[in-house]
Amino acid sequence: MNFRLLIMAKTLLSSAFIAVGLGVFCFATSTCSAQSSDDVEFVEPKTEAEKFFRKSVAPFIKTYCLECHQNSRPTEAGLSFTPALDTPGHAAFSEKWKKAAARVKAHDMPPDGSEQPTDKEREMFIHWPDKIKYLSPKDPGTFVIRRLTKTEYGNTLRDLFGVDPKIADALPDEVSGAGYLNSISPLQLEQYLSITDEVLNRVLTHDGLPVRRSQPSSDDGQDVSHAIDVDDQRRTTAGMIDLSLFVEPPVPRADAQETARRVAQSLAKKVYRRPASDTEVQVLTDVFELGRQSEMSYPAALRLMLRAMLVSPQFLFITPADDFDNKAVIVPLDDYQLGSRLSYFLWGTMPDDKLTILSDSGKLRDPAVLKEQVKRMLEDPRSRALFDGFGAQWLRTGDLKTKTFDLSKFPEMTSEMRSAMYEEVRLFFQSIVRQNLSIAELIDSDYTFLNENLASIYGFEEAIKGTEMRRVLLTDKNRGGILGMPGVLAATSFPNRTSPVNRGVWVLEQVLGDHVPSAPPNVPALDKQDQQSVANLTLRERFELHRSDPTCANCHRLLDPIGFGLENFDAIGRWRKQDDNGQAIDPSGELPDGSRFSNPQELKAMVAGRLDDFCRNLVKKMLGYALCRKLEGYDEIVVDELMQAIAQDGYRMQTLVTAVVTSYPFTHRRAQ
Amino acid sequence: MTKNTTIDRRTYLRGVGAALALPLLDSMGWAEASEKAEYKPPVRLAFMYMPHGVIMDQFWPTDSESFLTSPPPALESLRPVLDQCLMMKGISGVPNGPFKGAPHALELSTWLTAALPNPDKRDVISISISADQIAANALGAFTTLPSLELATMPQTWKENQAGLNEAYYSHCSFRSPTQAVPAEINPRNVLNRLFNKQEQSSGGASTGMNPLDRNMLDLVLAGARDLRRTLSPTDQHKLDEYLDGVRSVERRIASNELRQKEAALDKAGVRSSRRHESDSPPIEIIIPEGDRRSEYMQVMCDLNVLAFQTDTTRVCTYIGSTPNGVSYPELGFKDQHHSTTHHNNDSEKVRKVAAITAFNIEQFAYMVKKMHSLREGDGTLLDNCIMMWGSGLEDGDRHTRENLPFIIAGKGGGSINTGRFLPDVNGNQGDLLTTLLTCAGVPVDRPIGIATKQIPEILAKI
Repeated sequence: MNFRLLIMAKTLLSSAFIAVGLGVFCFATSTCSAQSSDDVEFVEPKTEAEKFFRKSVAPFIKTYCLECHQNSRPTEAGLSFTPALDTPGHAAFSEKWKKAAARVKAHDMPPDGSEQPTDKEREMFIHWPDKIKYLSPKDPGTFVIRRLTKTEYGNTLRDLFGVDPKIADALPDEVSGAGYLNSISPLQLEQYLSITDEVLNRVLTHDGLPVRRSQPSSDDGQDVSHAIDVDDQRRTTAGMIDLSLFVEPPVPRADAQETARRVAQSLAKKVYRRPASDTEVQVLTDVFELGRQSEMSYPAALRLMLRAMLVSPQFLFITPADDFDNKAVIVPLDDYQLGSRLSYFLWGTMPDDKLTILSDSGKLRDPAVLKEQVKRMLEDPRSRALFDGFGAQWLRTGDLKTKTFDLSKFPEMTSEMRSAMYEEVRLFFQSIVRQNLSIAELIDSDYTFLNENLASIYGFEEAIKGTEMRRVLLTDKNRGGILGMPGVLAATSFPNRTSPVNRGVWVLEQVLGDHVPSAPPNVPALDKQDQQSVANLTLRERFELHRSDPTCANCHRLLDPIGFGLENFDAIGRWRKQDDNGQAIDPSGELPDGSRFSNPQELKAMVAGRLDDFCRNLVKKMLGYALCRKLEGYDEIVVDELMQAIAQDGYRMQTLVTAVVTSYPFTHRRAQ
Repeated sequence: MTKNTTIDRRTYLRGVGAALALPLLDSMGWAEASEKAEYKPPVRLAFMYMPHGVIMDQFWPTDSESFLTSPPPALESLRPVLDQCLMMKGISGVPNGPFKGAPHALELSTWLTAALPNPDKRDVISISISADQIAANALGAFTTLPSLELATMPQTWKENQAGLNEAYYSHCSFRSPTQAVPAEINPRNVLNRLFNKQEQSSGGASTGMNPLDRNMLDLVLAGARDLRRTLSPTDQHKLDEYLDGVRSVERRIASNELRQKEAALDKAGVRSSRRHESDSPPIEIIIPEGDRRSEYMQVMCDLNVLAFQTDTTRVCTYIGSTPNGVSYPELGFKDQHHSTTHHNNDSEKVRKVAAITAFNIEQFAYMVKKMHSLREGDGTLLDNCIMMWGSGLEDGDRHTRENLPFIIAGKGGGSINTGRFLPDVNGNQGDLLTTLLTCAGVPVDRPIGIATKQIPEILAKI
């Protein structure tokens, strides 16, 4: 009976037959019973959402959409609402609901000539996607064993052996966070093998003895100490692999295996980031014996064993410490898995000894302990990984270093300048994280970080000398905050000129979290306009002409004013009053809702006024990054909860990070 | 047919500045050269990609009669080898289905799969195994590397079109429906990989893969299987990719051992029976210093040629560029490829797109011409290859896919009738891929993607 129920639960889950799924779900599992009280909280909104769908959404679909978008061939635009009428909460349809709402909002749909909904109906439909989440069952999402990213892998080798993380450079570059491709190919495995060899060659001789760091190693005459930054060394030696284990043991050969077993246990706990099981230790001892049988010395056989560990899935992937319980549908992460998830999220590297000790004692999952650890970890220099991995991607400044600029027009964009621009954004982000300021500071603040080179963009080159980045107070209200930062302004420009559209999209999508539909193909570009008649118009005037086209107008009347509100900043972020043609810049604008601004400062204030939207967007982006997946269904409910906690604490940055780390999907996983 | 011969293979890699392992000239798959049987080199298959489509009236030949004598401007660089090429118009791409908003995520990911991503699982990779990987599964057993995947730029473009996983934007090879194959972008790494050379900088004796490694990996593999038993079903599935990867590495070690044995025999004067004495020696690889895109792409092309010439692999996929903001400063302008393709018939932009297309075809032509100059068996290396160049869009301005641009070069061991332009072929990209794989001797047990048939027009009459 029990068994049958389990099967049912599985089938129900996979077909996402949600309405009944929830009940059976808890029946079948013991682990999830603890959450059943939470589930009760959502019964009401869930019933309400179902009612809303039946009473309002379904009639809307039937009246305005179904005629074209139904199960018949050919289906209009490949979209059919027929299945959604039965299971509106099906995950497969969530993207479609969002797009449909965006289309209806933009008055794209229903098309001209069809019966049009009233404004009130339209408004109802636009808000439907916000309610869909209540149809989703409580679900933390899967946390499939995850391969370390290239960056994480390099950093982990640094922490284990003190080598430069660049040692992993040969691996293919990859997208991190949401969209991360958690797969492993033969190419990557080959590279893991050869990188492993390179690492071991730097720290151990071929006989398995530690390479002396201060002098050239004996057998190849290479100085191996060059790779290690002094600070780096001081910081990480504490957690590093203890190479003093690699000596000829003072015991007869018969006991060597037992000694090797103990070494295997202690190394594996570091390398696998959790205690190794007896079976795992046995495998490693077998490798050691293999070395011995091939006439290797004791340290050389240990070296072979370490080599095996470094190409094992337990090292390359974050694996659970506990065996899979085939009765459980949803389980909390074990303390070691949680420690790794936390550490790779905030530091981009393995957990340190303090985290491991907390995992050992089973205390890490305690929300108060997690909160304490977040604070400690964010103060650690390793936390720059949060910007390099997440912040830079979020703000789109990650590819500043490789982006093409027209150097004849912008000779200033040297690699030093690009680095300084990146560093400005990074240090600014970091200061808000470390000082636990409100995220509102990200939009509007009175300080930034500059060196002499970058100060020239601000026109401060007289006051700031030298290459070192330092904190600088700003008095110009148009600056201060990410909207006025050269790194961001340059990242959203074309190689030779600004792009008001890109900037507008950036503000809406990256800052406010609005969904901007991509431009339809065959979009009439600026250049199509009659060259004669537009010759004397400013870029802005030409854009306005272009916006008179109704297909473009819906989105562009939102995008363009924002982009033009930042036109006082040129393509590399310098302040200007005239555009390339010598025409005066008019930064004023009006948004579709009627709100007006007359300069970047006022635009910034308007964006800052939408703090809740900004925060929600940041939480969603960060949670997606932390979970390495796109958010959907139940996650929206989680975000609602996190939002409350964050808003109550004045939108502080560390509160936000803590909220993500202690959230249900971060600390749990669906096991099947 | 074959004589006792020693091919001088020691000097050809001088440009690299390091002595490399000998190329593989072993018995694996190369047809047995008996006294009677005709020596027949294997057919090899390559794919090279350019995003964003072409300027149609500069790409499509006017008619089949003038194809060889007055080819369209885009094909100028191929003129000396046009008789080795085949073009056909009328190959349609995969219909966009529910992904209207994802033209660029689709153009590359559907290119070799001829299939759409799974619309219900957009966040992860869920598509079909790609044609190159189907070929690698069948032909890879004969060579050290089952296939080679190359690209010009990192596959890290982060754009989430229509909710599709970012990897769709920059990958075209899929080893399984859920596993995208990353490409190698560093020519030096490719060279090392082809000849299993480890960087010598840090070690004394080479620590490359050896039989002991194989035994060690066996134990690691056994340990991974133990681990597998403790995991949940979804985790197990992920671990299987790892197990598959380790097995593939083990196979490489085995084939390297074989290669070393052959080399030793060869050195001792025992003939290497698999090559014609008149075959050209392996080409030299010179890794460029600067960052000129043409030089970079040409060295990647050279590596493809060398890999085929030495039969190190029989399948190669080269993503010449991914659909993102790449520009071609070498051509005298900085505009990004993508934004330029939305030209709306502006003459200046059209000129630039045409120049970018010609540039890409020129790199392909470089490779094809080189292969045509290398002797193999009774003919040229190109005779035994099928080189496909193409894009996943026809018109980048309007994102159309009705007539995908393809150029096929090489006779595929006599299976393809080249030197022609077929103006009115009725088929889709799955049909084309299925036909090409069949020509390469790959048993295709089910249609690739949307394929419904083969395209007999391209075959040589036998």
